Amino acid sequence: MSSEVATREVVKSKPKQESKLLKQIAKNKLLYLMIAPGLIYLFIYKYVPMYGLIISFQDYKPYLGISGSEWVGFEHFRRLFSSPDFWMILKNTLILFGLQLFIFFPIPIVIALMLNEVRRNYYKRAIQTLIYLPHFMSWVVVVSISYVLLTLDGGIINGVLEFFGFQPINFLLDSTWFRPMYILQIIWREAGWGTIIFLAAIASVDPQLYEAAKMDGANRFRQIWHITLPAIKSVIVILLILKIGDVLELGFEHVYLLMNSTNRHVAEIFDTYVYVAGLRQGQFSYATAVGFFKGFVGLALVVFANWLAKKNGEEGVY
Amino acid sequence: MKLKKMLVVLFSMVLMLVVVACSNDEGGSTDKKDGATDKAEEKAKPKISIMTKLHTAEVPDDKLKKLLEEKANVELDIEWVPDNNYSDKLNTAFATGTFPQAVTMGADQVIQFKEAIRDGQFWEIGPYFDEFKNLAKLNETVVKNTMVDGKVYSLYQGRPFSRQGLIYRKDWADKLGLEAPKTVDEFYEMARAFSEDDPDGNGKNDTIGLTDRSDLVFGVFKTIASWHGTPNNWGEKDGELLPEFMFPEYKESMNFVKKLRDNKFMNQDFPVTSKEDQQAMFKNGTAGMYVGAMVDVLGMYNDAMELNPDLEYDVHNYVAGPSGEFTVWSNPGYNNEIVFPKSAIKTEEELKDVLAFFDLMMTPEFSNLVQWGVEGEHYTVENGFAVVGDDQDTIEREVFAYNMLGIGEPATNGRYESQHNYEPRQKVEELILENDKHLIHDPTITLDSDTYVKDGARLQEIINDATYNYMLGEIDEAGFDAEVEKWKAQGGSKIIEEFNASR
Repeated sequence: MSSEVATREVVKSKPKQESKLLKQIAKNKLLYLMIAPGLIYLFIYKYVPMYGLIISFQDYKPYLGISGSEWVGFEHFRRLFSSPDFWMILKNTLILFGLQLFIFFPIPIVIALMLNEVRRNYYKRAIQTLIYLPHFMSWVVVVSISYVLLTLDGGIINGVLEFFGFQPINFLLDSTWFRPMYILQIIWREAGWGTIIFLAAIASVDPQLYEAAKMDGANRFRQIWHITLPAIKSVIVILLILKIGDVLELGFEHVYLLMNSTNRHVAEIFDTYVYVAGLRQGQFSYATAVGFFKGFVGLALVVFANWLAKKNGEEGVY
Repeated sequence: MKLKKMLVVLFSMVLMLVVVACSNDEGGSTDKKDGATDKAEEKAKPKISIMTKLHTAEVPDDKLKKLLEEKANVELDIEWVPDNNYSDKLNTAFATGTFPQAVTMGADQVIQFKEAIRDGQFWEIGPYFDEFKNLAKLNETVVKNTMVDGKVYSLYQGRPFSRQGLIYRKDWADKLGLEAPKTVDEFYEMARAFSEDDPDGNGKNDTIGLTDRSDLVFGVFKTIASWHGTPNNWGEKDGELLPEFMFPEYKESMNFVKKLRDNKFMNQDFPVTSKEDQQAMFKNGTAGMYVGAMVDVLGMYNDAMELNPDLEYDVHNYVAGPSGEFTVWSNPGYNNEIVFPKSAIKTEEELKDVLAFFDLMMTPEFSNLVQWGVEGEHYTVENGFAVVGDDQDTIEREVFAYNMLGIGEPATNGRYESQHNYEPRQKVEELILENDKHLIHDPTITLDSDTYVKDGARLQEIINDATYNYMLGEIDEAGFDAEVEKWKAQGGSKIIEEFNASR
């Protein structure tokens, strides 16, 4: 108590808040204990490693360490922005992101709405389970399956095309097929899994609303449009913001597996570039600079999306 | 109140779990500490840690490891890293300072570490060769190829200069009345005939000539290019050293492969085909020609025989190019080197312990053990040759991976040469010796270029992509030349300059 009084005398407003905070913590110490593991995890695995970002401003040599390596300022960023690869990578990243946002994102919502209209419960359950399953397959498996189906050397799909007298299509080596293949594989693997949250949100809608709407003569589509969609709107917005936060997490593994010499100019994204430059070629500082830049773009987009959501009267993530 | 207490207990348990999980992450280092105390107790047994490449799908059986430990009186800690990820692992281990005492590196990987070698991050071992009489026997010419600035930093694993050649379906060739191809034109004709003339006689158009995979060096391309007379990485034109892809022979070779692919005489998706898939096509009777390391004939025959007992393979090396001469690319006499990081070996004494172990590897007893396994069990000796047993699976599981511990070559370490019951495999030994007379060497092995060390790998990717794209018809000759200009502009010109200056 006495120290509290003493500090209060020195500065007026701030310590008051501080002591209030301390008091609150003391009062809810169990709650704080509960979030402690999460906070510790965040601190150790998300904040401490940020220390390593320093090397993006150095000419980092592992044997000299962070303290011994030479400082080069923004040299690596200059190299990145002046590299002819930079615009290609940025463009590829944004295009794949656009595909995820505009093509993939709405699909789980549509599926969830459709599942919600299925009358027979066992049928609905069965469909749900079936479309969840691909989520548990690793990308290696998904890409291998498509490889076997699509290859020119005895792939089934080209076999069928040829049987009906069409020219075989070189799916794997024609760069124009990279993006469709990418997004279709994502839809196949993730769309079912993505419906879970939307289905939960739909389940919480008050049935009386539907009954009232029916009394007013609303058909199925009207019910979806005026009741279901508005009810899950906030969930959609939050998931959208989170999705944008992952803007540059386009799935390193997935893209890396699909990438080859002929489609590199449309497939190279920041993640794959960082991997090749950093881990395969040992350019640690440069790779860190690229990764840093990527994180920065992601942050800017989340802030922007959140601002947009709030401006339109939605809740946002913070 | 009771609830509160329970909560406290519950969450302290969660916290404890977190703590335990964290300390588990460090399991590796506690192991090492245990090892250190052991060492203090019985000083006689040095502990030697090694990181090396693994070429099999599974981690090998530790039978040979135990034998090695017992005979050499050491404690071995071998980290097997799959060959595919080896570069990543090297860089990660280097960056985090977790190299073991002895590290295997491919010749190309050593180049990436040249800067660190010059900075004194690895032990210079040349001066110790006087003390270790077996190591002193290593082939001087090859040792010279491994030198950095005239100093020896590594022990090399000897390989024949060139094991490249053609493996083909003898039964198909006989049926169609074809001889082994002596020129690239005959090679092309064989690929055509195997595709179009129904060599398996089932009346269906279901075969192709050649199989290739997504590897320009150890796949088909580099070998076919060297038949055409393309230099090995670098060549001399008008007194100046230039990279291989600036030579007309390189383009000729690309055209050759392109023609094979355009006419469907080889697998269409070769730029994305894995080694497993490539070999599978050759084993299951889809394709009839395989270009690569001829020694693979044995392993592939063992698998293929189970699918088709009537199948016959043969090997062949002499394929003359348009000039009428037969040439084939050569490695520098080794494919891997073992280096000794100072981060793991702190004192000279420790270094000597490690070198003493590898000194033993240069004796006939140990070099045979890691190459052929246990005599009487994995192989027998006949007329001074090792005759490898028939149980390939066991050998692959118990012996094959340990080849990576051997250093030197039979001429220096006294290891048995091999003799095989399978005739084509035995023929390979002769062909390897014949290849020695027709080698194209890489002239840059002992030369230096800082830009190549720093950017060589990244720049090579431009050329690799361009080569594939040209062979697939995605770009034309002008497009390929533009990529070469790109290579020059991004640092290639400097590499040319530096290599020439260091001659």
